[in-house]
Amino acid sequence: MIASAQVETTLLVLKLAFLVLLYVFIWRIVRSAARDLRLPQESMVLSPQQVAAYLPQPTARELARLVVAASPAIAAGTSFAIGTASVFIGRSANNDIVIASDEYASGRHARFEPRRDGVYVEDIGSTNGTFVNGTQVTRAHRLAPGDVVRAGETDLRFEA
Amino acid sequence: MSWGSLGYAAFFFALYLAAHMIARATVPEADPALLPMAGLLTAIGLTEIYRLGPTDAFKQGLWIVIGVALFAATLIGLRRDYRILESYKYLFGLGAIVLLFLPSIPGLGTTVNGARLWVSIGGFTFQPGEIAKIFLIIFLAGYLRGKREVLAQGRLKDLGPLLVIWGACMLVLVETNDLGSALLYFGIFLAMVYIATGRVAYVLSGVGLFAVGGFGAYEKIPHVHERVVIWLQPWTTKPVYCPLNGLPALRQDCQSYQLVKSLYSIGNGGFTGTGLGNGTFSTTTGTPLIPFVNTDFIYSALAQELGLIGASAMLLVFMVFVARGMKIAIQADDGFSKLLAAGLTFGFALQTFIIVGGVLRLIPLTGITLPFVSYGGSSVVTNFVLLAGLLLVSNRANARS
Repeated sequence: MIASAQVETTLLVLKLAFLVLLYVFIWRIVRSAARDLRLPQESMVLSPQQVAAYLPQPTARELARLVVAASPAIAAGTSFAIGTASVFIGRSANNDIVIASDEYASGRHARFEPRRDGVYVEDIGSTNGTFVNGTQVTRAHRLAPGDVVRAGETDLRFEA
Repeated sequence: MSWGSLGYAAFFFALYLAAHMIARATVPEADPALLPMAGLLTAIGLTEIYRLGPTDAFKQGLWIVIGVALFAATLIGLRRDYRILESYKYLFGLGAIVLLFLPSIPGLGTTVNGARLWVSIGGFTFQPGEIAKIFLIIFLAGYLRGKREVLAQGRLKDLGPLLVIWGACMLVLVETNDLGSALLYFGIFLAMVYIATGRVAYVLSGVGLFAVGGFGAYEKIPHVHERVVIWLQPWTTKPVYCPLNGLPALRQDCQSYQLVKSLYSIGNGGFTGTGLGNGTFSTTTGTPLIPFVNTDFIYSALAQELGLIGASAMLLVFMVFVARGMKIAIQADDGFSKLLAAGLTFGFALQTFIIVGGVLRLIPLTGITLPFVSYGGSSVVTNFVLLAGLLLVSNRANARS
């Protein structure tokens, strides 16, 4: 009798363990899917960065600007301001500079990051790389006025 | 536990690893979650089939091997550019029609359980309708991509192809006595037309046409009529005419025996189920309670042994699979890939809905397999090819972004 009770307990534990395992599997997959969906969030609740845009900004000043020199996606001469937040360039719509029709650029291609000592450009895992004056950047690179940054087939001139 | 069952587990795991390696080598950028989900469903299905009858599990194992082989062949053959299929769209359309009518050819077709869906060659039986499903989706993806602008304008003469396909579906329905397949093909067709044109009017008129056709079949075809009666009133309190032997009997002891026993089976599972291997599927004398439990009714077997919680988990896996398939369709950047991924995913979803809905008595029951889980060679093989198609589209979409 004791033996059969033990068998039943074991079976019950195994049964519940199997059900738990099933849900762990689903949870892992849903979590990895949710991670893909997190970036382009369409929500009415503003994120802290978005709230910052609505606040009066005493230090809101333009540090520098990027002027399009040549691009298959944007008209040459268009300029983008670099303020206090990072500026992203890439083909997907969630970038600050969207170059959707640039076949050689990646979805999220590069980031322009204002730091205390100037504006840095950093490649964020693009397929074809990011270049400054024809040299590929492997880590964050500080830009000097007049530098030409190339992402895909788009050339941007940095002006301070 | 026996060495035999462990052997199955080890063999299946090795097979899964092989499929995984091939997928990694040919489509490295593809969605990483689809294959594990398919593997899980196949494993649960094989376990349940083994538990219900080890002989069937051996045959099913063989079919899974063939399925994985075709999965690999599809991936390797089309890894460069699957869009070459688009050039052969009319060939696929023709192929689908030929396959659909194959069971109607005397001497070749076999009738099982009132539906004429099987082809038997040399003792080797398969269901050509399953493969026809994939062919139809490839044809529609290619055809609708070219015709979407014309169809979106919605002139009356452009409705021609819609009517032709509706007619073909109804012909298949009459020929094969099978409402499920007709609903599946027509549903896939409507969904793909909607995705291509974005016009709800097509869906509404299509549903209307199907309702008319379905009502006609209900009136004229006894087999279809019976299914609806069983669906609406499976239980009777007084003996009624039983068409099986012509004698009066309670309906639950006659036509709806299978459905009612399956409902009892689901009910017996409760919340956490009886546990795998502990369910009741035969009487004390050893007669099976639910005929065809490992094909059409595998869901009720699993619902008994895994309970509401386990059966819900399985449906969740199906749901996540469909969600990821639709995401692939959204990510793909050319019309053919979008339509292909959406069509394959929708076919998978609708098939699951038709059989689970039928077993749960939400809609009239029609014999169709539960993808990856049910016993049935053609179904397993087809679903592995479908999975390969989704992985190919996903690989291309992810590699480009």
